[in-house]
Amino acid sequence: MTRGPLFHEQTARQRIAALVDPGSFGELLPPPERITSPYLAQLGIPVSFDDGVVIGRAKLGGKKIYIAAQVGQFVGGAVGEIHGAKLTGLFKAAARDRAPCVLLIESGGVRLHEGSAGEIAIAETMRAIFECRAKKVATIAVIGSDIGAYGGMGILSTCCDFRVMSEHGRLGISGPIVIEKWMGKKAYDSSNRALVWKTSGGKTKYLLGDADALVHDDAGAIRDAVAKLLGRSSAVTLKSVKARQKELEKRLKRFGATTDPNDVWKGMGVRDVAAASLASGPEFAAMTRRGK
Amino acid sequence: MKKPAPKKSTSRTLFARLFGPSARGIAVEKSVLTGYAQAGGAPVCVIGTCDGTYVDNAAALRLAAHVIDCIEKHPKTPIVMLVDSAGQEPNRVAEMLGLASYFGHLLSCLELARRKGHKLITIATGQAVGGAFICYGMFGDRIYALDSASVGLMPVEAMSAVTKIPVPVLRKLSKTMPSLEFGAKPFALLGGVEEVWSAKDDVPARLARAIAAATTEDNRAALGKKRGGRRLALDIAKRVLAESAR
Amino acid sequence: MEKFAKAFPSKPLAARTAKPWALAGVVGSGNLEVLLERGGRPSGTMECHVETSIPGYKASWLAALADFAHNYPAGGTKVTINDQGAPPVLVNLRLRQAYDHLIKGDK
Repeated sequence: MTRGPLFHEQTARQRIAALVDPGSFGELLPPPERITSPYLAQLGIPVSFDDGVVIGRAKLGGKKIYIAAQVGQFVGGAVGEIHGAKLTGLFKAAARDRAPCVLLIESGGVRLHEGSAGEIAIAETMRAIFECRAKKVATIAVIGSDIGAYGGMGILSTCCDFRVMSEHGRLGISGPIVIEKWMGKKAYDSSNRALVWKTSGGKTKYLLGDADALVHDDAGAIRDAVAKLLGRSSAVTLKSVKARQKELEKRLKRFGATTDPNDVWKGMGVRDVAAASLASGPEFAAMTRRGK
Repeated sequence: MKKPAPKKSTSRTLFARLFGPSARGIAVEKSVLTGYAQAGGAPVCVIGTCDGTYVDNAAALRLAAHVIDCIEKHPKTPIVMLVDSAGQEPNRVAEMLGLASYFGHLLSCLELARRKGHKLITIATGQAVGGAFICYGMFGDRIYALDSASVGLMPVEAMSAVTKIPVPVLRKLSKTMPSLEFGAKPFALLGGVEEVWSAKDDVPARLARAIAAATTEDNRAALGKKRGGRRLALDIAKRVLAESAR
Repeated sequence: MEKFAKAFPSKPLAARTAKPWALAGVVGSGNLEVLLERGGRPSGTMECHVETSIPGYKASWLAALADFAHNYPAGGTKVTINDQGAPPVLVNLRLRQAYDHLIKGDK
């Protein structure tokens, strides 16, 4: 089987191009508009013409979608005033046009250089995401990049209807280095890649039900997973939040005193942890109960 | 690590100041508050944090459970969210269990409440920083802050430590960029807080007025532009909307 | 930060290109982004604007840009660069990538 470049190695623009129907992407507020961060300019930090997020319209399988991709190399994909306002506008446009919105996340969260403006921007984007959900417009977060989805962007991703992850992707709030600083190396060695990925990586998130699909680190695989979710939505209802409350209570009760992620895996029905650790994302999914 | 002794009396004084005798209806457990009280002579649901506590998985669930309780048993009752939290504690087990998803669940519950006609009013009473503010307080229809509250992303010193930009540089820039400044007033300039309440104000009356006036439209970007602290956000979102309609 | 601009003589760009603008690279440590745009400028020069986080290398920037303008028909274009300390070889590569994208499209 031949495979294209790894999704996590692609740039934001390459990811969009690889994901949508060929030639269908039309960028909104493209680089020639030069909407760049006045904060970074004042601080003597290089700016970028898209402020670290590429947004636009496209087609996926012939269906109109809105799509955004964060640029992880640019200040860690972090959200500043402009970056966040682009996302907010995009989700509002998606809600208005009832077209699904796909967000390719690669971000450590709020852009510290812009202070509270980035924090408010993330909160505003969350409101816009729920505008989509209220109209049954699918919102899909894709998490499969080097940086992952952390901080406010980790929280924001959980506001979307669905999360598609690759094994490479990570979802959380506090990153491993921050936790190591806080708890000590004994509690969390951030250089222990296996532990880091079992804490926040795609496999564990899929197993617990926080990711809806676990796919290969490949744009084609991600496109297929996203395409399946486009026509679906998960309305927020009393029934759905009550079920989720029960599920999260159960999870905390079962694993709240657990420190070893392998115990979580076993508890969630992974029989052979060693084999599951080596398995690819889809193989892992097939091995677990969730994969049937 | 030893936890600071909970400042119970201070919190209770604050609740009484906000809700009068009806503050008795607020239960505090491990610095997480849930209950029902009165504002402007009408019942309100109260959720929140005090003592600058951390919001962890269990706290998020308790808050969410109370929001669900309110939706089920007290239709359309306004929900007042008090925020005094230092954020989320960096913790590996919390992350492993999906703290972000617990926060997302709390936000979903609040969204459901909003859609079902509950007004959501936030009051930042103490610390309102980072993830703890994002996971419920910043999701209010309208957000208020006591002038004594510490509102914002992080103090300048912490920002300097992470960004490696010297404190004096950040302080100087914060004169023209309130976004870099820490506190309720600069946050209001950004539109993140509707109004700052001081000790002199009749806070219960203000709260009652806030509940009456709240609408579900997110007005923060417009406020930020009007007040000059966040000039770009509104127009950029509008441009995306306009250009995507073509 | 250092900022400068200069126009270099260059043969006119092809009358038709795949796109009106092209972007290559990203702003990240040791990297840069090059935005190349056509239209509305004198056809005999390539107009360049550079912003770099590493001051003191204006001469090498100008030499690299002059070289490019000499080697490729880029007259009538505007080059705008946001740089975060990219080495010269990468500057050259990104210019060529942007040029290729402009002429032939992204594929």
